[in-house]
Formats: sequence, structure tokens, C-alpha cells
Amino acid sequence: MPSEPNPASPNPETPFTLSIPQAALDALRQKLALTRFPDELDDAGWAYGAPLADVKRLAARWADGFDWRAAEAGINALPMYTRPIAVDGHGTLDVHYVHQRSTVAGAVPLLFVHGWPGHFLEVRKVLPLLMASPVDHSDGHVSFHVVALSLPGFGFSEAPKKPGFAGRQYAELFNKLMLSLGYEQYVYQGGDWGHVLGTHAVAHFGGKHIKAWLTNMPMFRPPSFLSNPLILFSSKLPYADSALRARAQDAMAQYRAKSFGYMAEQATQPQTIGYSLSDSPVGLLAWIYEKLVAWTDNYPWTDDEVLEWVSVYWFSRAGPTASARIYYEMTGGSGDLVSVLSTKRTSVPLGLSYFPREALQGPPSWASTTGRVVFTSTHTKGGHFAAHEQPEELVGDVRKMFGKGGPAYGVVPGKDGYDA
Amino acid sequence: MASTTAEEQPFTLAVPDADLELLRTKLASVRFPDELEGAAWDYGAPLADIQRLVTHWKNSFDWRKAEAAINTLPMFTHDIEVDGFGTLNIHYVHQKSAVKNAVPLLFVHGWPGHFLEVRKLLPLLTAGPADQPSFHVVALSLPGFGFSEAPKKPGFKGRHYAEVFNKLMLSLGYEEYVYQGGDWGCALGAHAVTHYAHTHIKAWHTNTPFYRRPKFLSNPLLFLGLLTLPFNEPALAGLQRSQEFMKKGMGYYMEQATQPQTLGYSLADSPVGLLAWIYEKLVSWSDDYPWTDDEVIEWISIYWFSRAGPAAAGRIYYEITNRNTNDLFEGTKRTTVPFGVAYFPGEIAQTPKSWSKMLGKVVFESTHDKGGHFSAFEQPEKLASDLHKMFGKGGPAHGVVPGRNGYD
Repeated sequence: MPSEPNPASPNPETPFTLSIPQAALDALRQKLALTRFPDELDDAGWAYGAPLADVKRLAARWADGFDWRAAEAGINALPMYTRPIAVDGHGTLDVHYVHQRSTVAGAVPLLFVHGWPGHFLEVRKVLPLLMASPVDHSDGHVSFHVVALSLPGFGFSEAPKKPGFAGRQYAELFNKLMLSLGYEQYVYQGGDWGHVLGTHAVAHFGGKHIKAWLTNMPMFRPPSFLSNPLILFSSKLPYADSALRARAQDAMAQYRAKSFGYMAEQATQPQTIGYSLSDSPVGLLAWIYEKLVAWTDNYPWTDDEVLEWVSVYWFSRAGPTASARIYYEMTGGSGDLVSVLSTKRTSVPLGLSYFPREALQGPPSWASTTGRVVFTSTHTKGGHFAAHEQPEELVGDVRKMFGKGGPAYGVVPGKDGYDA
Repeated sequence: MASTTAEEQPFTLAVPDADLELLRTKLASVRFPDELEGAAWDYGAPLADIQRLVTHWKNSFDWRKAEAAINTLPMFTHDIEVDGFGTLNIHYVHQKSAVKNAVPLLFVHGWPGHFLEVRKLLPLLTAGPADQPSFHVVALSLPGFGFSEAPKKPGFKGRHYAEVFNKLMLSLGYEEYVYQGGDWGCALGAHAVTHYAHTHIKAWHTNTPFYRRPKFLSNPLLFLGLLTLPFNEPALAGLQRSQEFMKKGMGYYMEQATQPQTLGYSLADSPVGLLAWIYEKLVSWSDDYPWTDDEVIEWISIYWFSRAGPAAAGRIYYEITNRNTNDLFEGTKRTTVPFGVAYFPGEIAQTPKSWSKMLGKVVFESTHDKGGHFSAFEQPEKLASDLHKMFGKGGPAHGVVPGRNGYD
């Protein structure tokens, strides 16, 4: 349901209602009915990939039990819109986004950016918490106008049609979206690609437009004088508790050991794997489900939660293959993870949220290669999908950083997040 | 105790109608992705190619005809006991030569290859000119590939494959034999000779010679020699091809070595997914081989209709590399049985030629001007000619198998 429009917005918003055609639902069901499952080694557990019993159970429910229309109706309760955004050299892309305005007039505009295999719905649990309007000025939480887009090629945004859509293009698209909504200056929150693209967004539009940002995947370029960064960095993670540090190190070790194959393929041959992801519901399900479990901190996924998540990919506007291309475009087809970050350093205030099961995190000192760290926070629980797993914790960080007394309080002139 | 040939069961490939029907239904409901403008091969297998191949698979390719032709090959199955893994029913081609003293040769394929890679070689090796040595050829489907059973438990390692190979050859009455392989056939060859060199394997040959980077400590003299190698042009071109492969072509390896089950759901369920996964390599790893649509679809069909399903084949990467913690040669040692190598220009993993000496005792080397990774399929005459020269009269491995020198 649309919220009150922004009086400063130059263009009216086009509401978006998700309505997957029945033919698409029927086609999915038909495919599921024809699923040919692989075998599995005895007692494989999770060692070789997503377990057969899990995938079979999920597939069975997807075909019969999971109610997409109910999920769709729930999604449609969010204030969603689409808007054509021109990107230099790439024509116009129709961008889908959630836009929830706070009732607090001076709320801080915030752009929330997801990653892979994430999507715009990761904003769902944090949305009401970011809206919280003050009971009174002393007790109240800082409040935000929230924009959460579907990245181009994900969810219900159009995908780029030409090669070369990379950091600069995403930054341009984000900024134009926010400007088109009347948000000349705003703050930014992201993890996964949301973090990586944050470095680019800030590189291009930091200071003038992006006034501060918070990441929940604090991975940065190591200082160049370090010839073997791996030796040093695990000891420098900011967790006070050595047990937490060990959990974080283990998450990193697991990623390095066995969780990166998807990236090696998507960064070099996304079209090849794309045929599978586009054509096989269980193929797509397993590809994503493996990460939903491996990258979270014992999060108690329900089957319907997983199926809704994967369905957003299955029913995505551009199809699941398009979403894989970001790895190729951002790494120049090489899969080199460090190369994806912007090389520019700015003095834009930067906040770091450390969750212990996030696999890609480096020491706070490395963040200085990217920005001016004004806020660091560590948590005792949570993984890669922090907004979904630990919404209260993540919003707690946002409030500490941007609220009264916080290091980024009032960064957006005239919009400090409170009633006047 | 080796099983006797009395237990060799003739094998007739007969894919059930229901399987053909399921495939047909799936092909009729493929959901294709989009593609970036001008993508060509940059992002993976091109959409136009895949769509054309799917259409061909759906409308033109005649599996029953292909199956009938495959069934003209002399094929068998045999139960092989593998220590710790129970019995695996192994499928293989066994073509004897009319020459009684032909050299027994075991041909081992790789991934995404299969037993049919031996097809074009068979007449050249078993019924070549009288002045060339003849071979009795055994070409198996690796466990988990083609029509062999797959291991059911984790931990099927190089020595287990070696055990399968050796027991199979012994069961056919070939106490002593020679070995030829490419891709996994090369790595598994190193494992096979580690266990059975001299006692059973008298010589071996690979058409995809690649090896691990030499450790200074284990091969100090060889390593020092490498440091002074000048890079000539063909070597440089080969190195560039290898670098390209390492940079752009290793995604399949990483996923199969770490999460083969996750990938397996796609490959088992989606014919187009399986097609693209393999076709990308058939083209990029061969040397401008003029694949026909029928050739490609037949090749993919072997995977689609494989006994253990397409997901099983990828597990070899996981098991041999111990989930990507060691290379393919872990647990092997250099042996002194005669070793032959064939260098083809389109090979993807080209390591310096001198490294072959660490893989085995090189007695025969050939360098070709055409052919890629699948040389038995792409350039069978060249490969057969290499084996003729290596094992023929006057050749460096002539007569390695006592009593079976290839001539009557």
C-alpha cells in the first residue's frame, strides 16, 4: 500500500503490484512434477552440497503446500513502485523498489541495497524498525524514509541489456533513483553486493549526495604494504570475545574452503550456469538454499521462508540468470573478489557492523583504505543476511550511528531523523 | 582372485521408453534465459547455440538410432569388488584384435568425456595395418560415468580407481597391459602406475600431459633446469591458452570439487542445463573441432541417460582433490615404466614439457599441430599413430608386455 508521497519529489511514483501470471505458476508446478532428482552418497550430510532430503522436501512443498498467492499478497502490502532510470550508455532501466516514508517529516532518507542471493525483501523486517517515530524527543529512535530497490537484474527490476554494467553504473542508478524521489542527500546501508556497490556509490556520490553509510559485510582492500594479509587479519577482528573471533575465522575458513565455487562459475561463465538456474526449479532452489543455510548463523529457516525467497528468483522479471552476471561484470570476468571494491578513498563517514558468521570481513583498520570509520559494532549472533537474521541488532547499529549523540547524527542537513 | 571371463556379461544399451518420454517432455518445456547483446562466448555457452541444440534434440536427434550404433560395439559389464566399497558393476567396451599377440590396452576417459571417446580409435588400434602393432582394447566407463555403477560412499580415491582398472584387466585375462588416458585418464593413470607399475602396467601414455608445479625440495635439479628455459613461441601460445583456461574456465572445477551435490540437482533435472554445462567445454577445449549437432547431443545423452545420473560424475573432483585441498596427483609417485606423451596445441592445461619427466619416465614424445583436449575423438589417426610408434617394432616400448608384442 503506497505511503504518503514525498512533497519534494519531482516525479509522481508508479505503484507496483506483484502479480505473477497464473501460467507461470502452472509452468512451475509442471516442472516440479517432472523433477528428476540425483542420487546422494551415504551419510553425505552437507558435505557435498544441499542434502537430498532437504531439497526433496522443499520441492514437494513448493509444488503443493506453499501458497505463492498468499506470499504475493504479503509482498504487496509493502509500498512498492517502479521508475525508469536512465544510465549512461545503458539506456533506461525500469527499477523496482520499496519506498516507505516515515511519518516523521525530518526523517533521514536511507537507501538499502541487497546482494546475491538476496533481494529487496531483506528490508522487510528492518522496515518497521526504521520507521519508529519518537514517542517523545528524548526516548524516540531516529527515523528514516527507506528506499529498498531490486538491483538491476534482480527481483522485479529490469536487467541491463549490454555488457559493462558495473560499479559506476550501479552508483549512477542508485543516485538517480534517490534524486528522483526528492532525496538530494541520503545515507546508505548494505551487505554483500550492497556493501561492494556502496564503495562505488560513495566513490562517485559521497559527500555531495551520500552523507554516510553502514555496512554489514565489512570487507575492504588490505593495505598494500601487507604482502600476506591473511596472516595478520584474523587476529585483528574487533570481537572482544575470542570465541566470537574464532567463529568469525571459521566462517571465513569455510567460505574459502568450500563456499566459493558458485562465485568462480558466476564470475566467469554466468550464462552457462544460467541455463540450469533458469530451467530447473530444484536446480535454482539447491543453488540458493545451500547459501541460505551455509551463510546464516543457525537461522531457523522455515520451508515457506525458503520457498518465498527462491520464488522471488524464479519469478524475477529478468529471470535468475541475469542476477549471476553481476559477478562477471564487477570482476571483469575473473572472479577476483578484492578487485570488486572501489579503489577510491573518501572521507564519508563509514560504519561497520560485524556479525560473527559473516564470512567476508576484515579488520576495521583496513576500512581506512575506503573511508572514515566513525562507528564499529560487533554482535554475538548473526551471519551474512543480517537484516533478515538479526533485524533488531542491525537497526540497533543504524540507530547508534545516526541517532542523537551518534557519530553520524545529522549528516543530512535538515533531516536529522526526528520531529522538529 | 581374479574373476574369469565367464562372468563377463554382454551389455546392451536400452534406455527405457519412459526415460525418453520424460526427456521429451522436459525439452518441450525448457525455460531459456535471456542473453546480453553481443555476448558471443564471453559469458558462457551462447543462447543461439543452445536453443538450436535443444530444438535439434527435441525434433531431429534420433536416440534409438544412436543407441543401435553404440550397441554394435562389443560392450560388457562385470562386477568388480573394491576394497571398502563393495561391488561395483562396471561397464566397458572390449574389442579384441584378430592378432592374438595384440597388446592389451586399457583406455581411460575423463570429464566431460566418456567411453565412446574410444570409438574412432578402435579400428585403428585393433585392426590397423599389419606392419603396425595391434591392441586388444578395453575402454571402461569410469565408476559414476556412462553405464558403470557409482560408488555409494564417500572416499573413492585414486587407488580405488586403480583397483577397478586392474581387477577389470585381470578378469579379462590381461595380467600385464598398457594404459592410455587423457583428462582424468591422465591423473588416474598416475594413480594406476603408482600401484601397479611393472607388476601389471608395463607402460602408459597420455594425450593430456599436465602435472603439478615441481616442489623445489623433491626435484631440485629439474626445478633448476626449468629456471633457465627460454620461452619459445609455441610454448608461449600454449601457456597463454593455459592461463586463459585457469582464469576463465575453472568455475566448473571449483563447484564440482566443493559442492557437487548442489550442482547435481541442476544437471540431473535440466537437459538444457546439462547440455550447456558440457557443451561449453566440448567447444572451448577442442581445437576448432566441427561438432555436428548430432555429435553433441549424443555426447550429452550419454550423461543424461547415464546409469548413476549426471550428478554422480562430478564427485570425482571432490574425492580425488579431497574437497579441493590437494591436487589430482596427491598420493601418486613417479614410476619407471615407459611413459609416452602427446602434445596437442589445443590442450587447455599445458604445463612445460619438462614437467612430463616428473610424471613418468618419458620414452616417447610427439608434438602435433592440430587437436585439443579430446584428441581421441578429434584426431584419432594422430593418437593411434603415436601408439603405433611407441609400441611398434623399433619403438621405445615395443614388447613391454611379454608374449604380447602386437604382432603374430
